[in-house]
Amino acid sequence: MPSALGNLVKKEIKEMLRDPKILLGMVLMPLIVFPIMGAAINISTSTVEKSMKTATLAVMKLDHGPLADQLISSFKALNVSLLEIQSSPIDEAIRSLEKTNITTLIVIPPGFTENLTLGLKGELDVYAILRSISLSEGAKASAANAPISIYEKMLVYQAIKQAFPDRNPENVLDPIAVNSFVIFKGRLLNVSPEFLQGIFMSQSFGFPMVIMLLLISAMQIAATSISIEKEEKTLETLLTLPVGRLSILAGKLAGSIVVALAGAIAAIVGINFYAASIFSFVPTESVDLAALGLSLSPLAYLLLGVTMFVTIISALALAICIAVFSENVREAQSLIGPFSLIVILPSLVLMFVDIDALPLYFQVILYLMPYTHSIVASKAAFVGDYLTMLRSIAGISLFTLIVLYIAAKIFTTEKVITARLTLRKPKISQ
Amino acid sequence: MSENAIEIINLHKRFGEVKALDGLSFTVKPGEIYGLIGPNGAGKTTTLRILATLIKPSAGSARIFGLDVEKNPDGVRRIISYLPEEAGAYKNLSGIEYLEFMAAFYFKKREEAWESVQEAARISGLGERLRDKVKTYSKGMTRRLLIARALMMKPKLAILDEPTSGLDIMHAHHIRRVIQNYVEKHGVTVLLSSHNMLEVEFLCTRVALINQGRILIEGTPDEIKSRFGVDNLEEAFMEATRSA
Repeated sequence: MPSALGNLVKKEIKEMLRDPKILLGMVLMPLIVFPIMGAAINISTSTVEKSMKTATLAVMKLDHGPLADQLISSFKALNVSLLEIQSSPIDEAIRSLEKTNITTLIVIPPGFTENLTLGLKGELDVYAILRSISLSEGAKASAANAPISIYEKMLVYQAIKQAFPDRNPENVLDPIAVNSFVIFKGRLLNVSPEFLQGIFMSQSFGFPMVIMLLLISAMQIAATSISIEKEEKTLETLLTLPVGRLSILAGKLAGSIVVALAGAIAAIVGINFYAASIFSFVPTESVDLAALGLSLSPLAYLLLGVTMFVTIISALALAICIAVFSENVREAQSLIGPFSLIVILPSLVLMFVDIDALPLYFQVILYLMPYTHSIVASKAAFVGDYLTMLRSIAGISLFTLIVLYIAAKIFTTEKVITARLTLRKPKISQ
Repeated sequence: MSENAIEIINLHKRFGEVKALDGLSFTVKPGEIYGLIGPNGAGKTTTLRILATLIKPSAGSARIFGLDVEKNPDGVRRIISYLPEEAGAYKNLSGIEYLEFMAAFYFKKREEAWESVQEAARISGLGERLRDKVKTYSKGMTRRLLIARALMMKPKLAILDEPTSGLDIMHAHHIRRVIQNYVEKHGVTVLLSSHNMLEVEFLCTRVALINQGRILIEGTPDEIKSRFGVDNLEEAFMEATRSA
């Protein structure tokens, strides 16, 4: 037979993972919703891209010089879908184009070639025909910009070549080449500061976000678990069984950890899908972070694991201590809500700034919120600051011990049954 | 002299300013079905919770088969089973999984645990429905499952708080018959509370009328009725309350 603790943990996991609210809300939803959101955004951006590629331009040539012909030839060379229309009054041409799928009319006015030849600005009139207000329609309206810019660049290169026949036009336009190096943790890295900043940003957002998601879902799971037991009075039965009260508490904590981890993994996988979908059009630079010394060391992994374990235990124990004062699940969720602030506030603040950069009074406020230590430790892991990690682990461990002590006290006394959150009512006069 | 199954002496319990028990004393012999009857807030559930080691008395003592509930709660929990009023079971487990979960706390060997689960299946009379999740059960079916759970490990004392409260006649009848048969067959002692005077009269060997945390009168149903010269316990209770 399994041990009493094993029996309790097995029951907790079964009971929670079979609860449609927990299974759907915390495990399946992130796996479904985030990828769907990502796919929806991806479809929208692809549609915009596609609509830009399929946009058809009309051109009305009122200038008979060679540069007008050259402009049209360059459009054709770029595979732009082009319809040349006969000269006619502009408003008449636009009215007839409105009945087609053409989105832009480029008019080359008389004097285009002459102006450019004389070194003056050659003018083009571009009419965008919008049929609705949407991102894709807006993108179509700017479809003429790219081929016009390419032609413009070609004209500039030609002018530079004429003026400086023995020089490379690229060097004339962009005469200085900057080679970027970054010194990080005493090492010389051949990357740009922008690239490193991008990595720091992803870490700054990533760790606090994961910790926030994990802790909030863990607290909700633990609070739901204990409040269901109180609501159904199964806790009363459980407490009269020949099993230690601390085993019951440990069973609740262990069961909630397993379910919370499943929820957190689901959230991370879901968010990864989401991020991969929405950034699918962004070219990725393959860089070996380990070679750059930007990956976590085995010791950092170990300390990060300890931090996360202690953090989750404290969040679960805290949620259990709070939920004991509720009589049903709804009450427990309401009680947990305000306590989520001590998770959300440090996570949000430390996503954007390091704690040392904050004013002293704000640092003190944040450090009084125990989960600040967890986030500080996770950020320190990335830069290999083990001393800060150990200090933070000590901070969160102290809080965990206090909360566990309170939870154990509650479970070993009648408070676990009799605790209620009541507001003092005014006495009614007889 | 044989040991009492329950021995409560001058039991007091306060919740803040509220006095729930006020010098309650009674004893129950092994093999008896002893009933506590009284109005809401009389102190019945508080008494049962103290005996079930859920809460501690403010003063006085309570012993179960010689074990003090305050000093030796672990010992007490090994020989009792407690059924709270309107309790539920784990909704996402099947009936059989719920019984297996409970049996695992009492039996070290898998065969013994399975035997007690089989016994509970017989007591509940739920048959194949035990394979369904508890959330699909009616209130009566859940109560039958819980009664079976409370009796399956053959406790020395079963503490049942309102065992048939809110049930229809069929389910209530089934549960009363189960309790009676079980006591006859295994010599289990039962302490129950109820609002249903007919049920108490039908089931209990002795009864205590309780009000405001004190016992008003105690005896067999026939003794109590004859003392007040009335036909049933309900009338006896009304008389006892008036004369208190």
